[in-house]
Amino acid sequence: MKNNTESHNEVVHETHIVSYKEHVSTLVALLLLTIMTVSISVFGANLRSLTVATAMLIATVKVIVVAYYFMHLKFDKKIYTWLVLLVVVLFLSFLILMSIEYLNR
Amino acid sequence: MEHHSGLVLPNSGHNRDAEASKLGMWLFLFTEFLLFGGLFIVYMVYRMLNPEAFLTASYQLNVTMGAINTVVLLLSSMTIAMSITAIQLGNSKRSIQFLIFTVAASLVFLVIKYFEWSAKIHHGLFPGMDVFNQLPHGESLFFYLYFFMTGLHALHIIIGAIFIIVVIFRTKNGQLNANNYSHTENAGLYWHLVDLIWIYLFPLFYLIH
Repeated sequence: MKNNTESHNEVVHETHIVSYKEHVSTLVALLLLTIMTVSISVFGANLRSLTVATAMLIATVKVIVVAYYFMHLKFDKKIYTWLVLLVVVLFLSFLILMSIEYLNR
Repeated sequence: MEHHSGLVLPNSGHNRDAEASKLGMWLFLFTEFLLFGGLFIVYMVYRMLNPEAFLTASYQLNVTMGAINTVVLLLSSMTIAMSITAIQLGNSKRSIQFLIFTVAASLVFLVIKYFEWSAKIHHGLFPGMDVFNQLPHGESLFFYLYFFMTGLHALHIIIGAIFIIVVIFRTKNGQLNANNYSHTENAGLYWHLVDLIWIYLFPLFYLIH
């Protein structure tokens, strides 16, 4: 079941096969993050602004984990990672510019 | 009739390019990301304008159901990733089993969503219903956004499930195999995007208190 393509990686460009075990570890990490975000929201209700910030931070960590492992960004050509970053920067610059405009009204 | 002396282009008859296919899928996902991104910005602005109303309205949502749906989607994301591993290893049968599990998870998600929506509609909170019309301005905005964004997301779940069912049939009749699995990969990418959107929707609507 384990892949042994890495040994002759320099000869041909072989695709990396992610093992089932690696996928299970990714899921466990994602579930732990979910438990974290739900418990912070349920038990930390008096720290409102803090919980929003942490909820967004945890969601972002989860998204990075999904993109990096499940969506194979880790193993694919780097062009995909760069394109994703480009779109994220595009979105964030719009978000930040808009927030600046909003806060300075 | 033209004569090409000595110039013969090799062509197997199958013009497949897995890399281009994957790149195309990613480019499509970027447009999806920006579509939902725009909606998130609308949400953010209205929330900054009506912080108290959004907070009050969010208590109407059922955190348990939202959390179960989060787990269901994360689990299905893993199984579709595993179906790609299986087909790469040449095990089409196992790949199909993982895909069927993913489709089943999408149905569980939709059933839970159906119960959530029916509870809200039962309480008259759907746009246009009497209770909704009595709501303060900020709270009605919350429910507009809730129904539109989760509705659009549910539509993506349905499209994703159909995509996966097509992949199941194509794997079954051997069109997709260890040498040609780019449709499986693309279905996976689409499904993960649906999961990514939910990862943000869940805390924004259910957990903001």
